[in-house]
Order: sequence, then C-alpha cells, then structure tokens
Amino acid sequence: MKDDSLPIIQIRNCLLVSIQTELHDRLALGLQESLMERVRSADAKGVILDVSAVEVIDSYITRILNDIGKSVRFMGAECYIVGIRPAVAMTLIEMGVELDSVNTALNLDLALEKLELLQS
Amino acid sequence: MKTVETEVGSVLAGTISAITQRSIFNRLGGLAARPIQQLTPQDRLAIMAELENSVRLFARRNSVELIASCAQVLGAAGEPASSKDTGAESSGATEKRLPIEQEKDIATARLEAWSEAVRIGLSKFTSVKVATAVSELARNIVFYAGRGTVELRSLRDDRGPSLQIVATDKGPGIEPRKLEEIWAGTYKSQRGMGKGLAAVKKLVDDFHLDTGPGRGTKVTCLFRGER
Repeated sequence: MKDDSLPIIQIRNCLLVSIQTELHDRLALGLQESLMERVRSADAKGVILDVSAVEVIDSYITRILNDIGKSVRFMGAECYIVGIRPAVAMTLIEMGVELDSVNTALNLDLALEKLELLQS
Repeated sequence: MKTVETEVGSVLAGTISAITQRSIFNRLGGLAARPIQQLTPQDRLAIMAELENSVRLFARRNSVELIASCAQVLGAAGEPASSKDTGAESSGATEKRLPIEQEKDIATARLEAWSEAVRIGLSKFTSVKVATAVSELARNIVFYAGRGTVELRSLRDDRGPSLQIVATDKGPGIEPRKLEEIWAGTYKSQRGMGKGLAAVKKLVDDFHLDTGPGRGTKVTCLFRGER
C-alpha cells in the first residue's frame, strides 16, 4: 500500500492538514493520533483541516471530522475546518448532519485570523 | 492504438503538465500502456483509484470534471460485466452495475455516480447529492454486509433526466426495532454514526427500502433533475 499518513504542517502554533485524498478508516485514525501527539509536542493552540479538495463529505467523514474536533478540544486546542464547498454544505444541511464539534472558516487565512484572536 | 496513456493523456492535456502526467502514468506502472479494450474491471478500478488521487492533487480546478472525463474514456470500452448499456441513446436509458467489496470501491462508486449524474444533465448541486448518497449506501454495504452492488440507472422522460440508484446486499439485513431507531435518528452503530440511511432518505426524491433479518438489504432511490 501507499504511504499511510497525511503530512501535518506547523505554522507558528497552529497545525495544518490539507486533506487531498480519500479519508478511510485507518488513515483517519492515524491522523487523529498523530494530531494529538503534535498538539502536545508543539503546544499547538489550533488545528486547521483544509477540506477544499474534498468534493464529497458524507455522514461517515463528518463523524471523523467531529471526532478529531472533539479530541483536539479535549487537549485544550481549537479545531477549524476550512474550505467546505458550497454544494457540500448544502448536502450536509439536507442530510441533517451536524458538524458541531469543530469550528469552520471560509479559508485558511480567516481561520488563522480567528485563532490569533483566541490567542491574544 | 488507444491506450490508457493516450486516452487519459488527451483528457488531462491542457490542465496537467506533461511532466506531471509522466509521473501519474509512472505510478500506474504497466497499466498505462495497456490498450483500453483489454482492461479488466479490476484494472479500471485500480486506474481510477490512482487517477482520482493524482488529479485531485495536481489539478486545482475542474478536478471533478477531469476525473469524470477520465472515467468516461476508460469506461467507454468497459467490460460488459461491470457496465452495460441497455439500449442505445435513442431510448435514453443506461445502466451501470458496480461491485462493492472493499473500502476503495466506495470512492469508485461515488465517482461513477457523479460522472453519470453530470453526464445525464443533473445540476452540479444535485450531482454532489447523488455522489454523497452513493457514498453512504456503498459504505453501508462495506461496513455491514461486506459485499454487494450499486446499480445506476439513468432515465429520461418528458419530465427531464433522472437517476435511479439501487444498492443491494445479501448481508444480515436490518431488524425492525433497529430500523425504528434509524428513522428516529437515535441509532448509533459501533463504526459509523448510524446516520447514513436516514441521511440518504432526506437527500433523495424517492426512497424505498426492502430489508429484514436474513433477507439482506435493498435500497432503491431516485434523483430527479430540475425542470
């Protein structure tokens, strides 16, 4: 199999992950674990997940994102999902699925801005 | 001769640079030089899985359309086993049967559904809904039944295009008590969130479920195009 982890980029005290591939079970669990570790080791205040390349978010992916959001929150950091596409947002609303354990921002820039406000 | 490389290459040309295309085809290994007529259904799945990742990564724009076009050039001469056209364009009805056996088949089914929705003229938003519904149904098959099929039937009548999705498995089926919880939104499975089926029901224009302990599960739903 191919490389089984997503790169986590650190910007100041934020961690950034750009999701460019199919989030399957194993990959999602691995991401959650390594994010926890990095939040701890980097003293991160925020985690940003960029989903602008994700064309379809179903209830399963939503659960994964919520789980990551919850665990990041448990560690005292905040999780932002950025770049949700309009059609994806509409679909999630129609399905009645909630993204309630994460914050959202239109793009990376705005998420960083919001996180900076939190830090001051 | 029409090979995977020449056909997919002509789709990607103009959006993805020659150097990047080279690296994509390298990742496909021996499959890249294979004539399209000789592809097995497994080959197509493997190629599409790889292409979906690469195109998303390298094409910042129109990746959806590109992936759909790739599926089309590969599927146009596809194996009768996985895809058959019932009647020509004149009747306007086509049918695709997708085997769902492992996690990566979910992505393939989603993509096929998307490209089919776009092809028959459903709107961009509806096509995303179609892809999401197929994703949920295929995931249920992999998680709860292990294996099954998703069939896509496109129809066109005087009311416009529509797409029927039939997800079938011979898994354990759903008990009536569990089903009540699913519709009430209180069911929680160990692996998923147990919301998939209820979510699909809300997304589609028409929904029919046939299930029971030991009977397997068959979900039939319909998306209509806007008039």
